[in-house]
Amino acid sequence: MTAARIARRTFLIAAGVVGGGLLVGTGALVARLHGIGGYRLPAGEGEASFGAWIKLARDGTIEVAVPHQEMGQGIYSLAVLLAAEGLRLPADAVRAVQAPINPYFANPIMVIDGLPFNEHASGLVQESAKWTVDKVIRAFGLSATGGSTSTRHIAEPIRACAASALDVLTRAAAEKFGVAAGELKIADGRISTADGRSAAYAELADAASRLSPRTIELPPLAEGVFVGKGMPRVDVPPKTRGVAAYGIDTRQPGQLYAAIRHSPRLGGVFKSASLPADLPGVRGIVEGGDYVAVVATSYSKAVAGLEKSTVVWDDSYALSVSSKDVFAAYRAALDKGASYKPRWVIDSAGDAAAAKGREVAATYDAPFLAHATMEPMNATALVTDGGVKVWAGHQSGYLAKLRVAAAAGVPTDAVEVFTPYLGGGFGRRADLDYIVKAVEIARKFKSTPVQTIWSRAEDLRDDVYRPAAMADVTAKLGDDGLPSGLTYRIAVPSTTDQFTARAIPGAKGGLLPDRSTVDGAVFSFYGLQNRSIENFSVDAGIPVGYWRSVGHSLNNFFFETFIDELSATAGIDPFDYRARLLDANGGEAAQRAKAVLTRLARFNADNKVTVASGAKAGRGVALSECFHSFVGQLADIEVVAGNIRVKRVFAVVDCGFAIDPPNVIAQLRSAINFGLSAALYGKVEIDNGKIVPENFDTYQILTLEDAPEIVVEIANSGAAIGGIGEIGTPGIAPAVGNAIFAATGKRLRSLPFDLG
Amino acid sequence: MITLKINGQSRQIEADPDTPLLWALRDDLNLTGTKFGCGRALCGACTVHIDGDAERSCSIMVGDAAGKSITTIEGLSGDVAKAVTDAWIKAAVPQCGYCQPGFVMAVTSVLGANRNQTREAVLSQITNLCRCGTYDAIRTAVGFAVADLNPQGQPNKESVR
Repeated sequence: MTAARIARRTFLIAAGVVGGGLLVGTGALVARLHGIGGYRLPAGEGEASFGAWIKLARDGTIEVAVPHQEMGQGIYSLAVLLAAEGLRLPADAVRAVQAPINPYFANPIMVIDGLPFNEHASGLVQESAKWTVDKVIRAFGLSATGGSTSTRHIAEPIRACAASALDVLTRAAAEKFGVAAGELKIADGRISTADGRSAAYAELADAASRLSPRTIELPPLAEGVFVGKGMPRVDVPPKTRGVAAYGIDTRQPGQLYAAIRHSPRLGGVFKSASLPADLPGVRGIVEGGDYVAVVATSYSKAVAGLEKSTVVWDDSYALSVSSKDVFAAYRAALDKGASYKPRWVIDSAGDAAAAKGREVAATYDAPFLAHATMEPMNATALVTDGGVKVWAGHQSGYLAKLRVAAAAGVPTDAVEVFTPYLGGGFGRRADLDYIVKAVEIARKFKSTPVQTIWSRAEDLRDDVYRPAAMADVTAKLGDDGLPSGLTYRIAVPSTTDQFTARAIPGAKGGLLPDRSTVDGAVFSFYGLQNRSIENFSVDAGIPVGYWRSVGHSLNNFFFETFIDELSATAGIDPFDYRARLLDANGGEAAQRAKAVLTRLARFNADNKVTVASGAKAGRGVALSECFHSFVGQLADIEVVAGNIRVKRVFAVVDCGFAIDPPNVIAQLRSAINFGLSAALYGKVEIDNGKIVPENFDTYQILTLEDAPEIVVEIANSGAAIGGIGEIGTPGIAPAVGNAIFAATGKRLRSLPFDLG
Repeated sequence: MITLKINGQSRQIEADPDTPLLWALRDDLNLTGTKFGCGRALCGACTVHIDGDAERSCSIMVGDAAGKSITTIEGLSGDVAKAVTDAWIKAAVPQCGYCQPGFVMAVTSVLGANRNQTREAVLSQITNLCRCGTYDAIRTAVGFAVADLNPQGQPNKESVR
């Protein structure tokens, strides 16, 4: 740790490349590392390293290191795109590789985003807190993929490293040919003189990698050959042809397979098991804390062994909680009001309680949700006297090493983590108990790789759920119909407290307010001069985790539905009402949201809602700000015989600048459909401590037939780059709910939507 | 010993006849392009062709598959498969990508049975699930494949099954 800190300090002094953003703005304290100086990718025989991010591989291909996992968000392609652009190479001359798990690649952004401050305000307290978090996270080396941070984390350093690499290559060529660097031509991986002499990057790489990097001012992101236009995704052909390897595709010599089963009730523990003798291929049974696993020569034999075993669970400490008890606890906490503890007022201004006018009050709720990644949880582990090797999709190499080392009783240096493609993440693979269990199981079969696979039922039962929540929202409307005061109270457990306690043994949560509990309601772009946005922290013991867009998935639904209710009560058109509320704020965020809203309003004016005979139809609008990006959505829905059908979604996104527009559109569509699964069907019922859904018939997700046509319009504002992977999820539920109201006059305040 | 005819080759495996074909493919034959998603024929990630028809291999037992011609994503060939695969790549369908071999197998089977179908007719026969929600791109890709296989765009209604 000390070494890392020194290396980083040395780096800051030696840093040669300065990003445009570093020179101005409040982001300066959120240190940006540019991949030269402090850390260099190790280069073997015949390779040449150009810093932390880029090296020339032996086969002449440029490799760009990606410290994020590819889970569908397209980050491998983004890295290739930026490296190819910066090095003026065709796309196929660059490939993405997983970066080493090294403190250099720490990702402080998602933790900084979680600070309970208004990111639109800048002050000494905010900047000091960001600085401190940045230092601490880098000192620990916490790498993580989540919070829609991948591009924000790596785009600028990769651009800088590519610029630096091109600079040293050009200087090496100038030296080789005895001409001024400015006279050289660069194209297709070659540097040429006017008189026809030419050298490939590969020929110059060794000399170039020995040159000292210089200070280069990086131009702001702007349209280029690939930037702002896009590039075919590098993972599309292998994924289409079935040759892309996921964690579950890991095949090591002599590998065994384990089928795992957990206590049917949360909190239940393993008591005893009997495995019939002489089952074909079965090698043994592993008794875990809250699970049991049968290990065999193939997964089907392991499953057969598990099915033939008798397992007894000890329910002495099992939860007897049901979903209705959780909601009752929320109700009781909210009814207790300001005297409830722990209660956090995370965003307040003026005096919301003293506001006068017509009162509007509503209560909303949303259920627990599972992640249900298409690739069920699995991990392959090999435990030897020398250490542990793990092959698994995950969202944090740093935490994986930490957890595996603790589980196996070895130093972190003795842990190697190999990261294939993730068959979906959505936050599920940030929680690494599944890797720990696979290591515990493999420990019983020393020197033999064991792959543990969760069945779909186990995957749903052993999840960390998007928390259920309930919110009371009240407002007083002034004579102009706008809220003169607004109080927002959400009862929900702290995901961050639970996550921290699981991820870092001995860590204690609850000391700070968890901003994610109120994300989507706090620091609104609407002008709310008298407001109180409060979290009533209520933890009923159900394991909760990060789920695509986290708190936004709850609060944006509650908040944007409430805004719609206010507009209806005030008798003002929902577009106009939002525009007035944005004008009442007027800040940068409000202006960006207004630009998005204006496009939605234009689309609304140009495209009438069509109503088929015998159907009711309606259009709903919702605005979201999520991970520094702005999204507006219009949902067109139809109700036929009580069934809600979402026909079309029109979305506008301002992520600052879309580096890869086709992927921005793909991510928006994906996130909207993900949110739509939740809005229309998503619900994990808990009955006496048992997770009820067991498969896709009882935990339904959106089908091809029911998926709407989604049109996405990109509206670059030129602001700093925001997130993309999650930002479409929050707004679809309120847009659909508001459309249901427009179509039927019924206000649905509970998810999933049910017209009864 | 059970003999399976897979991707044009005869392969022998040591397995109980009631082993799901999916696991014989993945664990015994190392054909990992066929994916495990639900184990109950609900999601389609494990779709293979058995005598040309799309089947969910998690719910077909090897004893029942013996003697039949099985094709996995690794053995997919022919002009229909090429049209579908090319269309998938052109439309950049996959995100996490885990379910996509199953979709490619399902669409190839539908178009292999009759290449003169409308895009909508093909889509109506696809019941696979994608958690990333790549459905817009899937519709685009199926449109590309349909156009590629039937450039005149005049589906022969008589031949639609």
